[in-house]
Amino acid sequence: MAVQSPKLFRFSTWGPWIEVLAVFAWGVLLLKYWVSGELNILIHPNFFALTNGTGVFLILLACYKGAQLLHQQWRSRRVRNRGTRTATAATDHITLFPPGWSATILLVTALLGFLISPRVFASDKAMMRNVNDFLPVTQSQPQAFRTARKPEERSLIDWVRTLTVYPEPDAYTGQQVNVQGFVIHLPDLPEEYFLISRFVITCCAADAYPVGLPVKLSQSRSAYPPDTWLEIQGEMSTEVLGDQRQLTIVANSIQEIPEPRNPYEY
Amino acid sequence: MMNQVHNAFTLFMSLLVEALPFLLLGVLFSSALLLFVDEKKLISFIPRNPVLGALIGSSIGFLFPVCECGNVPVARRLLMQGASPSVAIGFLLAAPTVNPIVIWSTWTAFRDQPEIVVLRLVFSLAIATIIGSIFSFQKDLTPFVQPMVARAMGQSSGAKSWDAPIKKDLSSDSENFSPLLQSGTFLLGTPGSPQRLDATTMETMLLASKAGNLGGAGAAIPGDRLFSQRLRLFVENVLAELRELGGVLVFGSAIAAIIQVAAPRDLIISLGQGPVTSILAMLVLGAVVSICSTVDAFFALSFAATFTTGSLLAFLVFGPMIDIKSIGLMMSIFKPKPLVYLFLISGQLTFLLALAYNLKFS
Repeated sequence: MAVQSPKLFRFSTWGPWIEVLAVFAWGVLLLKYWVSGELNILIHPNFFALTNGTGVFLILLACYKGAQLLHQQWRSRRVRNRGTRTATAATDHITLFPPGWSATILLVTALLGFLISPRVFASDKAMMRNVNDFLPVTQSQPQAFRTARKPEERSLIDWVRTLTVYPEPDAYTGQQVNVQGFVIHLPDLPEEYFLISRFVITCCAADAYPVGLPVKLSQSRSAYPPDTWLEIQGEMSTEVLGDQRQLTIVANSIQEIPEPRNPYEY
Repeated sequence: MMNQVHNAFTLFMSLLVEALPFLLLGVLFSSALLLFVDEKKLISFIPRNPVLGALIGSSIGFLFPVCECGNVPVARRLLMQGASPSVAIGFLLAAPTVNPIVIWSTWTAFRDQPEIVVLRLVFSLAIATIIGSIFSFQKDLTPFVQPMVARAMGQSSGAKSWDAPIKKDLSSDSENFSPLLQSGTFLLGTPGSPQRLDATTMETMLLASKAGNLGGAGAAIPGDRLFSQRLRLFVENVLAELRELGGVLVFGSAIAAIIQVAAPRDLIISLGQGPVTSILAMLVLGAVVSICSTVDAFFALSFAATFTTGSLLAFLVFGPMIDIKSIGLMMSIFKPKPLVYLFLISGQLTFLLALAYNLKFS
């Protein structure tokens, strides 16, 4: 049921070119994300090779198909009236979209991808949780947990994983801390506390979830607005926040740092 | 507000970027294997016992790593070439899930919850085998299937079974030539047609080339021409599937991203935490969001934090079997009544299994 509409826009004429463009644009977009480092924001580095391979393949595919189309147009001008037909497809599917739509949708999406750069998730995405939600990293296996690490070398996620394995906060009291992350102002924390936090992804941004530890300041947290990236040095202690005992960093030195090229942890 | 939109867009793009390689892989496989696997031979190896047949039919997906769009044409060919109903239906329901690419992508998404990967397989196999066995009680499928398929089935029980699909394809071809083709090119696909998820193009050529090898009608095609034609068919098929499935993927990802960002969190949590409501919600989502089974794990992933594991399983098992898109495709095989049966039975079985999991393990 190949529908040939007698309108100005004939899918049979333009469709193949839209398709070629769409495939090409996606190939370039995937590689562009890689070159610009934005792929870091979108997916876990394990899959970079996969996306890059896909990008290259899509570009080649588009080039092949484009060359073939050009060749055909050239040929059909030459042999306009000699009708040699080859066996070809009859299609009797029912499609979700009218012909041409899919290719157009793909093309538009790729163009949007060029125009709008992806955004690193920030405190607004993390805010909809409670402090306790930041701690249990149930999705992560303890195998990533390295006890051998010195406390001051642990990253934020290392700390959270360590806590997941052995949650008693008193066990860590007095240990040195040196972590980097961004600031979240949780409304249910007192005025001189904020959360130092990072997003963790296992696959892609769709599963990004925040982890974090409360930080105790000597003054109000308003000096450190949300989403500021900080490096915090200090000492661990146990505080009672809400009605829960909570491992807390008592900050000695707080330094502002630029947003890392790769904002997530794994 | 702008931030929300930007977050949603990032989520949307991350889903697409993560899913595209798997989609491409699935498309490449389904296009390539059509050239190499001879269903007729396959059928002759399958045992007669309906339950065993259904189980094996369900597992054929390992040979045809196709998603729910590629499996319908294959299931139709299986039926037309004389496979028993239990085999064909087992394949139809399980192949989109029980295949290496889908297992890999599910594993990629749910590395931290391997039980989802395993149970997705087990549940799909179980449901497909059960339904395949149920349908085996219907000895004569003729009243269930579309007339064209019924005719081919009738013929395939005779001696000249290979002729049936050829005749069918060529006759329908002649009605549908695109103007481009009539202008005398060697274009083997029809860009004017809505899509070619179905491999009819490949099928026709495949059969022609097989005939050629045997010295039949197709023998006129020289070897290198044959190769370049096959390559073109392959590319055509890859592009057509990529285009169509890509479009669906874009929609699915958009829906996932919007729900993630826009739906009120209270609602999502209250829906997602209930052992029954979460499954019902995900069943509906699975039927509506016709996202391809090679990539639907990533879609489900974005609900992993808020929805029960059982409901994610329900989505991953039921979605590939029945959704809006595949119902459309299945209409090319079945009449409405058996489709309703398929829909209801698989929905109920998925619900029960997922609920059992939810109640037992969480």
